[in-house]
Parts: sequence; structure tokens; C-alpha cells
Amino acid sequence: MGYTITEKILARVSNQEHVKAGDEVMAKPDFVMAYDFPGYTDLYFKQMKEDFGIERVAEPERFAMFIDHMVPAATPKEEELHIGTRKWCAENDVPLFERKGIGHQVASEVGYAVPGAFVVHFDGHISQLGTFGTLAMGIRRNLLEALVNERISIKVPHTVRVNLTGTLGKGVMARDVFHHLVREMGPASCRFQVLEVGGPALSQLSTEGLQTITGLAMFTGAITAVVNPDDARLAYALPRARKQLEPVYSDPDAEYAKVYDIDLSKLEPLIVIPPTPANSRNLTEYLGLELTNGYLGSCASGRIEDLEIAARILQGKQVAPGFQLNVVPTSNEIMVAAGRAGYLATLTEAGAFVSAPSCDYCFGRMGAMSAKQRAVSTGTLNVRGRMGSPDSEIYLCSAATVAASALEGKIADPRKYL
Amino acid sequence: MALENLRGRVAFIFEEVNFDVDQIVGVKNIKITDIDELADAAMQSYDPDFRTSVRPGDLIIGADNFGYGHPHYPPMRAMRHIGITGVLAESFSPGYWRGEISMGFPQATCPGILGLVERWDEIEVDWTANEVRNLTKGTSLAIEPLSKADRAMLDAGGLIGYLQNQRQSAT
Repeated sequence: MGYTITEKILARVSNQEHVKAGDEVMAKPDFVMAYDFPGYTDLYFKQMKEDFGIERVAEPERFAMFIDHMVPAATPKEEELHIGTRKWCAENDVPLFERKGIGHQVASEVGYAVPGAFVVHFDGHISQLGTFGTLAMGIRRNLLEALVNERISIKVPHTVRVNLTGTLGKGVMARDVFHHLVREMGPASCRFQVLEVGGPALSQLSTEGLQTITGLAMFTGAITAVVNPDDARLAYALPRARKQLEPVYSDPDAEYAKVYDIDLSKLEPLIVIPPTPANSRNLTEYLGLELTNGYLGSCASGRIEDLEIAARILQGKQVAPGFQLNVVPTSNEIMVAAGRAGYLATLTEAGAFVSAPSCDYCFGRMGAMSAKQRAVSTGTLNVRGRMGSPDSEIYLCSAATVAASALEGKIADPRKYL
Repeated sequence: MALENLRGRVAFIFEEVNFDVDQIVGVKNIKITDIDELADAAMQSYDPDFRTSVRPGDLIIGADNFGYGHPHYPPMRAMRHIGITGVLAESFSPGYWRGEISMGFPQATCPGILGLVERWDEIEVDWTANEVRNLTKGTSLAIEPLSKADRAMLDAGGLIGYLQNQRQSAT
């Protein structure tokens, strides 16, 4: 019986020849990362010093910090948090990435998405590094274990395999694919397991689209998502890689907890209705619902293909009167590329408010909604109060659907504009 | 400190699948840091008398995928303050599970628990026998054994104690 990519990576970092799902191991993450957030990193830094006597981390190159929330700072207190993070990174010689964009995306750009590597973060959306064959897990407060100890305790997870076949239709995006997976498989289908995405259609999906799918994996209950990296993903990741590792792949006879086959040709645009990411619905059931806001951005969606399709839909047109459209490229690298391609100018001319990369629109620190407002959003989540008032509503969908809806001020089908 | 058996009444049963624990205090209260204020807000939309009805040691019950969504820590801080000592659910969402176990809050996965108990039944969770007993009805059901790391985390009262134990045994 063969091994999954997950079992192979966890065997290497646990110094064992083989491990199988269900084994409990002590694993040394190749990289340990976090973003600064009140009550998280500031507390960790304090605990490391006061509870564990750690003045400086060993192997600082294994750690990375990102300042991507509260950017730019709006209060002296927020800036104090960033000052603390800068100081800790400088004292520990730990790389710090600030004002470069949303950390989960920047991590790939600056070489932490090493095929075959094991990465931990407290935030689960780090799973998007799985696009490049990296096993990246959000372990919540247990990140402290990775900060104070060389190794962390982990139970080798089982894997659920999804085989994608067929071709996506016009106006159907990776975002729709993910929400379809939640509907088809269920929001608990991959609980405590790894979502491994593969199949013949994988090579047709853009790297960006795959980042969207892997980045949202937690809403299937998965602890991360991973892909056996093909030439296109390796061509992106290997020249940037901060560590030399041999990429690993699942064996053809690897054991899976369950296997799903998804035909992309049959998919239509979806919309996820509030108040939970479990609520995937056909977009066509909600057409015409009045809207006040739109958000195109986040670590899930806000990459070039998202900005491109939105620009194509909005080209030469205007956002509906009274509708507020916030567009936030996921990283500086993406913002520059979108600027050079003319997408940002097109979106701005159409009436979008284009903002520099930041996490803040996704959780309502910026562009916050008031009671009774309703948004379409490519953010990660639609729980109550995520983007402002608990009495506002968030409908999650693709960038194309956000753009089409911005034109009409109502939930709209992007296919008629493409 | 070793993990003692939990014994108390079923203070509430959340029958909703994929239950978002933030609803326990309500999203508008999630940023309250004063623990008494937070406890006052807890369960108001489910049972306004909850705080005064609970006795220390009581437990709560969840359905499948309890804790799904984007769980925050304040709801269970509030529940602990009121006197709740653990959660039994058909199954848990991983992020929620991991977060609360690291707080040293006992939880057990127990397929079939919704059929085993009614509100205010007296129950006991036996960590050695890996079972939950309904003392009111005289019935019982198996719970899924904790992983070694989760068990050690609960034995140590949470993440800090667990890590201190780990570092002591490494030296």
C-alpha cells in the first residue's frame, strides 16, 4: 500500500521512514509563520519570554512574521502592536514581511511554498500553500508549541481525495468550484482530514484558482489541502524556494478515506448565503436580490484572474448608483501586475474604490457595513458581523459575480457580461 | 493535575448541525472582555435563565460538526465562567476543537449522544473507560478516545502547562 503526499511529508519531518494516517508523531515544521494580531503574537512573544525563558529563537530562518492586518494602522494602539512585532523580529533575526500584501499569498511569493515542506501557522487559510505541494496547517493557539519547541505533536491525518474532470464553463470560476465541493461533499466531509485535490482537470486550473480552492479548505472541515504539484506549480515555486527539498507525490495506490469525482463541466456559478459558509446555493436562485456593497479581495480571491475578469465585466461601464465596490488586490506583486495590465484603471474608471493590499476589508475593519446593508463578497467568510454590523448580510461568490452584481446593484449572473 | 471524570447535568443541547459557537454570546458581544458581562450575554437567545439555572460541573451537548465557521474564544470563556465544565458532541469542527483543548477545556466526541440524553439528565464522562453514562436513565455510550497529545493537554490544564511539562521532560 502506498503513501499520500501528506504521509510522506510528515514522515520526513518526524525522522521516520514511513508514517500512516492515525499515527501520532512529533514533527519539526520547516517553517513557522504568523501575522501580528492583538492577543495572538503579542501574547506569544510575552509567553515565550516569561513562561519559557526564550530570549531568542534558534534557527530564525525557520520563522516568518507578516504584518498584513491593521495596515495601515488607524490608531496609536494598532501601531504599537506593529512596533512590538518589528522589534521582536529584529531582535530574533526573524524575517518580517510588512506592507507586501496578505501574508498567505506573500508567503508563496517570497519562497515559503516549498514543495514537500511542512508549514504551520495559527490561521487555517495558510492551507493555500498546498497548491505547490506544501503541507501547510493552521493549528490555532498550538502554534505556541512550534514557537517554543523544535517539534510539535501531530496526529497524521487521513486524506480525502477529490478528482476533478472536465472543463469549467464561461463565467464559472475556482471560487464556484470550491463552494460546489462544500455543497456536494458537505461542510464536515473532510473533518480532521486533508483535502487532496487532483485529477485530469487539475492542469487546466490556474495556479491562482487552485490557491482559492486550497485556501478555503477549512470550510469542508479539512485541516489543510494539498495538491501533487505539476510542472506549472513547480515552475512558480522552485525558483523562489527558501529551502531545497525534493518534491513528493502521493503514490498511485495511496490509501484515501474517501474519493470524490467532480465534473467541472457541470458546474454553474454559485452563491453562499449567510450566515455560514456551509450554505452554497445556485446563483440563479438569488438573482435580483438588492445589494449595497461589494468586496473583491482577500487571501482567497483578489488575484490577477479575479481582477482581470472583473475589469472585463466592468470595462466602459459604471457601478450602479449607491453601490459601494471595494477592490483590494491580494498582494503588492499582484497590484503592480494588475496596474501594468490596466485592470486597476478600468476598475477605478468604473467607480470601484481600489485599495492597497490588506486583510482589513475581509473582517470589516475597513469598508464596514451598517445594519441592513447587504454585500456580495469574495472574502473568506459570511458569518454574522464579519464585515461590520451583525445585522448586515454577506453573500460569498466569485469575482465575476461581484463585478456583474456591482453593475446592477443586485445579485447578477456574470455570464451575460462575458 | 490529572483529568478527572466529568459529572454534572446536561445544561443545554445544541441540536443545530454545524453550530457556530459565536451565537452563544451573539456576534455583537464577541469583543466584550469583561468576563461577568460576557457571561451575562451568554445564552440569552436560547434560555435567558441559563446563567442562574446552571450548577458548577454541568455540561453541554452538541450535534455534528460543533464549532463550524470562524469560532472565537469568548463564548466558551463565558460558559466556563458560568460553570460549564465540558462539551460532548456527535462530532467537532477541527479549528474549534483544537482551540478549546488548548484552553484545557474537556471535550469528547460521542457519536449518538443526541439520542442518549435529555436536558437536565445527570451524566458522567469516564476518561478511563472512554464512555459517557447517563446516570438518570442508566444508559451509556462509547466516546472516542482522545489522542495522546490532546489527553496530555487536558491533563496539564491547557497549552502552557502542557508545554512546560514537555520541556521539563526534554531536559
